[in-house]
Amino acid sequence: MPPPSAPLTPGLASFLKSLKINPIDTSIDNLISLLKRRQIRHSRSCATATAYLLRSVISACRTSDASKLIERVQSVGRRLIAAQPREMVVGNIVRRVLGLIRDEAEDDRDGDFSLSEAGSESLPQTPRAGDDLSESLYGRHDGSASKPLSSLAAHPISMFSLLSQPESENSLPGSPASASPSGRLPAHPQNKDIRAEVLDGINEIIDELGQVDDQIAAYALDHIHSNEIILTHTSSTTVQKFLLKAAAKRKFTVIHAESYPNNHEATHATVSGTAPNDDELLSTESFQKPLIAHGITVILIPDSAVFALMSRVNKVILGTHSVLANGGLVASAGTRVIARAAKVHQTPVVVVSGVYKLSPVYPFDFDSLIEYGDSSKVIGYEDGDLVEQIDVQNPLYDYVPAELVDLYITNLGGHAPSYLYRIVSDHYRKEDINF
Amino acid sequence: MATADPRTSKASEPFDIVATYNDLLRSDPDLTMPIAAIEALVLLLTHSPSSTISETLDLLEKSTAHLKKSIPNPIGLSAGTDLFQRYLITTLQRPGQLGPAGDFNAIRAHLLSNSRLFIRRAKESRDKIAAFGRGFVRDGSTVLTNGGSRVVASLLQQAADEKGGPSAVRFNVIYVLSSPKGDIESPTAEPEGMETVRALRAKGVPVATIPESAVAYSLGKADVVIVGAEGVVENGGIVSRMGTYQIGLLAKAMGKPFYVVAESHKFVRVYPLGQYDLPIEQHVIDFKTQEEVDTAKQQQSNSANSPGTTQGLNSEFHPDAVDFTPPHLISALITDSGVLTPSAVSEELIKIWF
Repeated sequence: MPPPSAPLTPGLASFLKSLKINPIDTSIDNLISLLKRRQIRHSRSCATATAYLLRSVISACRTSDASKLIERVQSVGRRLIAAQPREMVVGNIVRRVLGLIRDEAEDDRDGDFSLSEAGSESLPQTPRAGDDLSESLYGRHDGSASKPLSSLAAHPISMFSLLSQPESENSLPGSPASASPSGRLPAHPQNKDIRAEVLDGINEIIDELGQVDDQIAAYALDHIHSNEIILTHTSSTTVQKFLLKAAAKRKFTVIHAESYPNNHEATHATVSGTAPNDDELLSTESFQKPLIAHGITVILIPDSAVFALMSRVNKVILGTHSVLANGGLVASAGTRVIARAAKVHQTPVVVVSGVYKLSPVYPFDFDSLIEYGDSSKVIGYEDGDLVEQIDVQNPLYDYVPAELVDLYITNLGGHAPSYLYRIVSDHYRKEDINF
Repeated sequence: MATADPRTSKASEPFDIVATYNDLLRSDPDLTMPIAAIEALVLLLTHSPSSTISETLDLLEKSTAHLKKSIPNPIGLSAGTDLFQRYLITTLQRPGQLGPAGDFNAIRAHLLSNSRLFIRRAKESRDKIAAFGRGFVRDGSTVLTNGGSRVVASLLQQAADEKGGPSAVRFNVIYVLSSPKGDIESPTAEPEGMETVRALRAKGVPVATIPESAVAYSLGKADVVIVGAEGVVENGGIVSRMGTYQIGLLAKAMGKPFYVVAESHKFVRVYPLGQYDLPIEQHVIDFKTQEEVDTAKQQQSNSANSPGTTQGLNSEFHPDAVDFTPPHLISALITDSGVLTPSAVSEELIKIWF
C-alpha cells in the first residue's frame, strides 16, 4: 500500500528532489531510513531510488580507480540491503552497477593489455614453473591475437577451470580484488575516466526502469487473444499496461481478484478508473484510461472466488514483487492460491516482470522472504475484544514455486522459468552475487 | 566407486591405461572417476613420446576407447576423458596457426607438470561446492542422503563444523544405507556411506541410518534431500547409485526439494532417454526359471576355482549398479560453478563442445 499522499510525505518524489541539494552521505542515510520506514515501497520505486542514489554516489566519488569505485558502491549497497533485505530490487540494481564498473574496467584492461603485456606476464603469482610457462604463452597470444580470441581467454570456460591456469584459486566470489575473471585488474593503472562511462550505464538503467512496462506491454498481442477470459490480481501497473495494450486491438474479458486486505483499494481504483492518486509512480499512468473505457468487460471478484471461476479462465496474468534465480517468485499474498488453482485447472500462468526484478539470490529459506504487514487491516483495533484474544497475521507476500509458472514475460521477451538462470548470468556478474 | 577390475592381461601396449586407471582409483579413495581418467591420460602422455598434435589426439582417442571398453561403467570416466580431449583441442586451436609445434610442446609440458595440481583442484572444488551448498542446510533441518558420495560428505561435514562462520549448523541427517548383502565377495563389508555416518556422528551431528525400503516412510521427517552423482548428463539428469531415482521420485511426490551435489567435471555428454538407455550393460532385471537357476549353480560349482566367471554371478546384486534420475525431479544442481538449474547443464556442455 502506498502511504497516504500529501505533498510533504517523504517518498520517491521527495527523495529524488532532495538528492540534488543534499550532500551524498545525507542522501544515503535518507534513502536508508525511507526504506526502513517503508515509505518507498513498490519494486520500481525502490529500484529507481537506488539507481539515482548510486549515480550520485559515483559522480561524487572523485576517483577513476575501478577497484575504489567498486568498494564504494559495495559499501553503500550493503547498507541499503541491510535496511530492507526483502526489497530485492535494491540489491539487483547495486549488482547491475557493480557489473557495469567491472565491465568498463575490463574493457579498459583489454584496451591497454597489448601495451603492457610484458609486465602482466609476471603478475599471476604461481610458483610452478609449468604454470608460468603456459601463462606467458596465453599472455602473449592474448596480446597479439585478434579480439575474439582474447575475449575467449578473458572469460574462461568454467568446465575447463579444472585443467586450465590456476587463476580460479584467488578469485573467490565476492572478494573485491577478483574484479576480473583473470584477477589482473587491480594491478593495472586506468588511463581513461571510467566514471563517465559508468554514469552513462546507470542512466541507461534508469531509462530502462522508465520504459520497462511499455516494453513488456509490446508483447501483449502475442499472448492475449480475442474473446479470452484473463484472470489477474492486484493493481500492478505492469499488468494493467499489458492488458491495456491488448485492449486497444482486441476484445476480451478480465476477471480481477481484489486482493483484500492489502491492495483492494488500489485494485478497486484501477478497475473503476478513479485516479489512483499515487504520486510514487511518477509517470503518466494515472492519466491512463482504465480497461473499461476501452470496452473491456472487467469483473471484480473477491479472492475467495478464484478457484470457482478458474475453470472458465483461459489465462492467468500476474504481476510480481521479485523473481528469484530458480524461477520462483515472490508476489503479493494470494498469488500462490491463484497459481495453484490454475495448475489444478491446467490454465496457463503468465508472469509479467521487468528484468530488474530478477534477482540472482537463490531462495534457501522461503519463509524469510515473506514480509508481514499491518494486522489491523484484517481486524481493526476498534474490535478490541477479538484483538485481545486472537493472533492476527497479515502476510504481504507469497512465494510461488517455479513449477506453478508457465511463462515469464520480461522486457527481453518470453522465457520459461528454467531459462531464467541464463538471464541472471547475463545481467549479473558471478562475483557480485554475494557481495 | 568402480570395481577394481584389473584386466592387465588385455594390455595391448606397453603402457597399460586400464591398470593405471584402476591403480589410481585404488590408491586414493578421494579420487573421482573423471579425475582418475584424466590422470591416467596424463601419465599416458608422459610415457609416449608423440610430438605432433594428430599423433597425440589419435593416441588419446584409442586409449580412451580402450579404457571405456574395459570398465563396466564408463559414464563417470568418459566425463574426464572427454573434458581432457576437448581441453586439449580447444587449447590447441586457440593460438591459431602460430607455430603449432612450439605451442604443443608448451601445452604438453603444462599438462605433464601439473597433474598433481588437477587432483588438488578437483578436491578443492569440493570445498567450493560446500561453500555454495552450505546455505541449503538450514538450522534445525533434516537432510536425507544416500550413497557414498564424497562431495555430499564434505558438504555435510563443512556445515557441521563451520568454525570460522557465524555458527555451526545444527541439523539432523537421515542416511539411506544400501544393504551390504549385495556384495557377495565380501559379506562382512559394511554398507557404503558408513564412514561418512561415523564422521558426522563424531562431529556431533545426529544421524539416523535407514534401509532403502524405509525412504518413503522417513521422507516425511526430512526437509531436504541432497544426493551425489556419478555423472551429470546433458539434459540435467544424473546417473547415480542405484536407488537415487526412487528417492527422487518420492521426494517429488512429497514436495521435498531434491538437490544434487556434483563437481562440474562430472558433466558428461550422454543423453539418456530413460533407465534402459544408459550406455552401459547392467543385469539388474534378470528373468530366470528354476531350470536356469539350477544350471547356473552347477556352472558355479564346476568353475569355482576360475575367477573369470564370477562376473556373471554377481550380476544379480551388482554393487555398482546405477540408475538415471531425470531432470524434472531435480530442484537444483550445486556445482563448483554455482547453483544451476538442470537446464543449465546442457549449456555448460555446449560451451566446451561447440
